[in-house]
Amino acid sequence: MQAAGVFSTGAVKDHARQELIDLLDSVRGKKGLVIDPSLSGPLSLVAEFTLLKEHGVEKIYHLAPGKLDTDCKSLIYICRPKVGHVKCIAGHIQTHSQHGVKISYSIFFVPRRSLICERVLEEEGVFGDVIVGEYHLDLLPLEDDLLSLELDSAFRELYLEGDTTAIFCMAKALMKLQTMFGLIPRIVGKGQYARSLADLLLRMRHEVLASAEDEEASAKIFPGFSEIDAMVVIDRTVDLITPMSTQLTYEGLIDEVFGIRSTFVELDPSMIGGPSAVPSGGSSTAHTPAAATKAKKVPLNSSDRLFAQLRDLNFAVVGGLLSQVARRIHEDYEGRHQARTVTQIKDFIGKLGNLQAEHQSLKLHTGIAEEVTKYTRDKDFNSMLEVQQNFVAGIISKPHIDYIEELIDKQTPLVQTLRLLSLYSLVDGGLKTKQYENFRRDIIQTYGHEHILTLQNLARVGILRKQDTSRHVYPQIRKAFRLIVDDVNEHQPNDISYVYSGYAPISVRLVQAACQKGVGGGSTTWEKSVAGPAPVGWKGWEEPMRLLPGPTFEEVQRTGDTRVVAKVKPKQKVTLIVFLGGCTFTEVSALRFLSQQDEGHREFIIATTNMISGSSMLKSLMANFSRAPLNP
Amino acid sequence: AVVVEGYESGDITERINKFKVATKLYQDDKEHLFEAKATDDQVKLLNLQTTLERDTAHTFLDLTISETISKLLILGHGNRAAKVKADFKVPEKRFWWLKVKALVQSSNWDGLEKF
Repeated sequence: MQAAGVFSTGAVKDHARQELIDLLDSVRGKKGLVIDPSLSGPLSLVAEFTLLKEHGVEKIYHLAPGKLDTDCKSLIYICRPKVGHVKCIAGHIQTHSQHGVKISYSIFFVPRRSLICERVLEEEGVFGDVIVGEYHLDLLPLEDDLLSLELDSAFRELYLEGDTTAIFCMAKALMKLQTMFGLIPRIVGKGQYARSLADLLLRMRHEVLASAEDEEASAKIFPGFSEIDAMVVIDRTVDLITPMSTQLTYEGLIDEVFGIRSTFVELDPSMIGGPSAVPSGGSSTAHTPAAATKAKKVPLNSSDRLFAQLRDLNFAVVGGLLSQVARRIHEDYEGRHQARTVTQIKDFIGKLGNLQAEHQSLKLHTGIAEEVTKYTRDKDFNSMLEVQQNFVAGIISKPHIDYIEELIDKQTPLVQTLRLLSLYSLVDGGLKTKQYENFRRDIIQTYGHEHILTLQNLARVGILRKQDTSRHVYPQIRKAFRLIVDDVNEHQPNDISYVYSGYAPISVRLVQAACQKGVGGGSTTWEKSVAGPAPVGWKGWEEPMRLLPGPTFEEVQRTGDTRVVAKVKPKQKVTLIVFLGGCTFTEVSALRFLSQQDEGHREFIIATTNMISGSSMLKSLMANFSRAPLNP
Repeated sequence: AVVVEGYESGDITERINKFKVATKLYQDDKEHLFEAKATDDQVKLLNLQTTLERDTAHTFLDLTISETISKLLILGHGNRAAKVKADFKVPEKRFWWLKVKALVQSSNWDGLEKF
């Protein structure tokens, strides 16, 4: 097992993979796999198609209502425990039995079953026909340092609906991590739900230990070391401002422009200069529109070395870097002319494979960067960015407000309008009564009456609301945490604020406060001020922490086991940052920046409920219901 | 919730009735006067759109207030558009934006010039 206990997200993946194999093998013979579409991305990160095939999977279907025609003798459903999904499965079973088709069914709920789903199966009268199981696919490694539960609507569920399933999932997943890598000695955090998560973790630990048969058995549950020195839990409601700002890193902008789902981005094939399937010769009609517009799914991860190099950079420097790489590749190709001897030629051929892969990746990123540039050069994008940057810097004037009004008047897509308006509300402690009334009226009249529900939702979670009597604290937060950095250098960043060209995410400033004790620019300020490594915690930050909503807490988990105690002090500390309600790609980049900057003393690993952008977050809060077409 | 039920119904009379119920419910709560007004307006809008469909032989139902104004302007029903503006207290500024966009869309360059 992980005897060495070196923290790696690979171990988490292996775990998930093995469980999937066991699950597939539990059903004998050839089988069909029916997958909840929201899980197909996550599953593809765990297992490739050939692996499924090796374990008897003949066909893969997406779970959808209606009839499911199959010639498989057994079907395995893998889905989230949602009532809609279960009803859909029940529908399949009922139609099959009406047509006299005999199939054996198994359902595996991800990450665990729910009572409601089983009740639905009973009510539909199919409970006896299925084997119900669980597939504990929870934290998925999106990258070596990034784990996600991939719960798309976590923010809505937690903060709007008050459904805390996501916290429970996170707690379970973290318990699993602790059994692999040891108890985490310090748990610190900020925010209401962060507190709930810590409480849940402490309770689960006691339950696990209490349920062990004897002392010896209980001592074996957690390994005798702690690979992770501390955990910082951040509740998204502590920092709503960051996601509302436009991400300005390369990966962040790709997410803003195209949307990244489970590390995949869907692109127009013509854009990335991939193998264009359209034959150049022959008739021009060979070019079918369906084929031309079919999006290509491209994986974005660090196995693409060029992407690994670019992803966390401010987009402003990406163009220059791409052309450098292009020049180098060109020179490497030219190297073939220098090859005179057979050995030299052999050498070159040996490098060729690599060179071609690099070339392919360069083509891809040049294509993406060009498309993103179109977006960032746009006049509207820049006006919007300017207003945003003024807002976070605390400069709020009438032209800015008029600009939001103009967005509505020009019928700019609702999400964009709401994003800027929400940012305004967040930095200014809510809208003034009259303004609030007018903006709401304008939104309803322009985007539709059903958005009275959207506006209610936004008010409920506190993103867009009317000013109340509570203190207006953003200016103090901005100063205390040094959120605005004027001399930001995008080329050679010396501070995390480079990810938003001058604004540092509050969330990551909190991590700095807890782990580095200082939120200064270079590493010098805090290194001098702190003699020796201080434990992760809020010491010295008690006052500013009060400005942010929700409880601030610190917990110490003692193992109570003598054989534990850190054997050899590890050279590098690993600290886990947990986001409840989602985190953005810029926050990931900022944390990576800290890992590097801290002279390798501390590495940050991120665990989040899901990846978000301001737009995906707002979309999840919009009124969503099936709207019937209206007949006169 | 009644609002959602209204949207789930494709029948215009039923939707209007649901919205009327919703308006009453919202009115009972001082916190929801905005929603009451908006829903009441929506009933007015649906009635108006029904009339417009009959008079112009174009589809209007389910458009928002701004979209309704735009469409009327594009179709050249300036007076009716002005009436919608007055009925729903649409701010002057937005109305002019809609008008400019409509003129461009219908390639009414003379109109734009005069603007």
